[in-house]
Amino acid sequence: MFVYIVRRLAGMMVVMLIVAAVVFVIARVVPGDPAAVMLGASATPEDIAALRTRLGLDEPLLAQFLLYLGQIARFDLGDSIFLNRPVIQALAERSELTGLLTLMSVGIAVLIGVPVGILSAAKRGRWVDQTALGLAMLAASVPSFWIGLTLIKYLAVDLTWFPVAGYGAPDASLGERLRHLVLPAIALGIPNSALILRFTRTSMLDVLGDDYVRTARAKGLPPRVVVLKHALRNAMIPILTVIGLTAAVMIAGAIVTETVFGLPGVGNLIVSAVLRRDYPVIQGALLVVSAIYVLINLTVDLLYAVVDPRVRY
Amino acid sequence: MTRFSRRLFTAALGAALTTGALGAWNAPALAQQPGSVITVATIGEPPTLDPVGTTSDLVSIITQHVFETLFTFDKDWQLQPLVASALPQVSADGKTYTIPLRSGVTFHDGSKMTAEDVVASLDHWTKASPRGKTVAPLVESIAAKGADSVVITLKEPFAPLTALLAMNNGAAAIVPKSVIDGANPLKSLVGTGPYKLLEHKPDQYIRLVKFDGYASPTGPASGYAGSRVAKIGEVRFVPVPNAATRVSGVLAGQYQFADSLPAEALGRFKGVAGVQPVIVKPFGFPLMIMNNKTGVAANQKVRQAVLAALEPNDMLLAGFGDPAFIAPEGSIYAQGTPYYDAASAKPYGEHGLSKATELLKAAGYKGEPIRIMTSVQYEFLYKMSLVAQAQLEAAGFKVDLQVLDWATLLQKRGDEKAWDAFFTYHTFVPEPSLITFINPSYPGWWDSPAKKEALAAFNREMDPAARKAKWVELQKLFYSEVPTIKIGEFYNLAAASDKLTNYTPTPWPFFWNAELKN
Repeated sequence: MFVYIVRRLAGMMVVMLIVAAVVFVIARVVPGDPAAVMLGASATPEDIAALRTRLGLDEPLLAQFLLYLGQIARFDLGDSIFLNRPVIQALAERSELTGLLTLMSVGIAVLIGVPVGILSAAKRGRWVDQTALGLAMLAASVPSFWIGLTLIKYLAVDLTWFPVAGYGAPDASLGERLRHLVLPAIALGIPNSALILRFTRTSMLDVLGDDYVRTARAKGLPPRVVVLKHALRNAMIPILTVIGLTAAVMIAGAIVTETVFGLPGVGNLIVSAVLRRDYPVIQGALLVVSAIYVLINLTVDLLYAVVDPRVRY
Repeated sequence: MTRFSRRLFTAALGAALTTGALGAWNAPALAQQPGSVITVATIGEPPTLDPVGTTSDLVSIITQHVFETLFTFDKDWQLQPLVASALPQVSADGKTYTIPLRSGVTFHDGSKMTAEDVVASLDHWTKASPRGKTVAPLVESIAAKGADSVVITLKEPFAPLTALLAMNNGAAAIVPKSVIDGANPLKSLVGTGPYKLLEHKPDQYIRLVKFDGYASPTGPASGYAGSRVAKIGEVRFVPVPNAATRVSGVLAGQYQFADSLPAEALGRFKGVAGVQPVIVKPFGFPLMIMNNKTGVAANQKVRQAVLAALEPNDMLLAGFGDPAFIAPEGSIYAQGTPYYDAASAKPYGEHGLSKATELLKAAGYKGEPIRIMTSVQYEFLYKMSLVAQAQLEAAGFKVDLQVLDWATLLQKRGDEKAWDAFFTYHTFVPEPSLITFINPSYPGWWDSPAKKEALAAFNREMDPAARKAKWVELQKLFYSEVPTIKIGEFYNLAAASDKLTNYTPTPWPFFWNAELKN
């Protein structure tokens, strides 16, 4: 197991180096000038050129890339051109919100998707199953921003049960901050629950057709025990995989929901950085996100061994 | 229902009730706002909080509470003193400005403002500000005269100087000498304004709190001028890039003011208690900037043909939807402002396809594509460009409409070979020399000999009435040479809570003198 983990981590380094190079090149190949964006539409070419020099943007590309690699080797992601602070700090400031939002939305997606998927598989062909599949299709089809705007309209504006947007006042408690994340988590969780529901249903149906399940039923075990104790555990591996992928995608993929709810998360940071051509943030954030993605995949792979004792590394 | 599915149903119902309870508990607290804090929703995160080096309007909305300039504008857009104690004494030859300073002005760090601080601030402005840099070649010297005034000596008369000194972006902000570092950004954000910066968390909030040591100018409040009193304890600016969220937030009471709302949101405020829509006029004007230097649009007759082909009212309606937010106004300055003149803008209304076609023929147009840049990042510009494309094609133009993201457009417009026209907009500025396309180095490059002469005459003229006459001459030239197409006027929709009283609608909203009722 230890050797397996070390090998995977070494592979992660290679992946991140490739990501670093690709992101660096793409960020600079795309037209657009961060100096022009910073100074505004009425800036003159002379102002823009002066700012580019001050920011080191007029250095040769190779020099900029070598500087960048040297920074990464020292775990330094550079300083944001716009935010006037280290990229690591900018990411750290957003990590609490993004982490909590991811946990809450994955939690909602799992709490809806897994039980309903199990029920749907257990009641295959019945009205419960048909209804669940229909609702899953609806949930997957409706865009998350529409869900978000609808939740805002009815639960925030009309009923004032929840805040409309933001992450709370400067002195807000953790409870208040969590309240700000309830509606965004629901908006993100519902579409993702559809995917988890379908995977759970499919995986359970595969297992429920096995001989040992028929044997368990023949022995007179209650249906709940057959499904939850014997079938579910064997069906967990693909379910875990999709839960892990969902969580990984949500780290930086919640941009639309973050925009609708005015949340300063990692997704918002990356898109703002792209629009402003804030190269250090684009590079640093994507590097961190890719590292998290790889780590989540590794964690999911290790969890296989927990769920299924037959899996050994 | 089996016992298993009953348990599942019960669990789901419990989760829903918990979520509802979590929301309903504290709901009354959410609807109330602390009495001395207002939350202002803006269009996004400002690129900086240093008002000197940028002309961004968002920056000026926020930093005008913290930094002050020597002069400012009243409700009629007339110059008034702010950090200065009176308007400047100008020598007969127009080259020497003696500016008396108010006494007892304190910076946010507790130090008292001196004439040396003002001199250092003005010097920094000529090096670091896009507006100051246009003035720098004309400046002979800036020096203190005693402890209570400064003298600016110019190499030649330049009438726009005081207006440039009064602008709240690219601002000649008065700061302590100790925070100035050559042409670099300010070392710390210390001003003389009624509010000081407490905290800035990018993409989350900017907190400005009342500065107890503030020394206000005297006189009745008028526009940005006169007495300023910080009646609200804290002004909190939050970036909310999504316009629909800004609308929802002000309707729900989470924001007491929301800026730059879409025109189509006006209907959502009808009949709603507690929130009022605010329509700000004048606000801005969309432009189709032509390339006067290179390419097909460098031909004056082609530009005149473009002017004749376009129907501005159609473009404005496409961009904004509601006639309440637009005016097909040809005068560069809107009605009610000192530089308004309709007569010299007559060609604005003289359009027609046959006229456009004749002009194209006279120009010797051979069907070369006219490359027009636009961006969906400003949806109203994009919609107007689609209408313009159709109108120009009907007149016989071949149009290559290039839809770019804003950052790419800003970069590409610097390359004179890459475009023939681009869509942008201009917010209201009180002084004509602040208009971007008047500057010959601004992309578009309007720099004909006649314009150089007319602009020089306008800038040298110190008498206000004579200046107006010279501006009219410049506007006539604008409509004969057509360096840029002014599409019309548009107004801004904002929204304010009914609890926010004594608020004055202006293009750059401010909150001194405003109060929050309980």
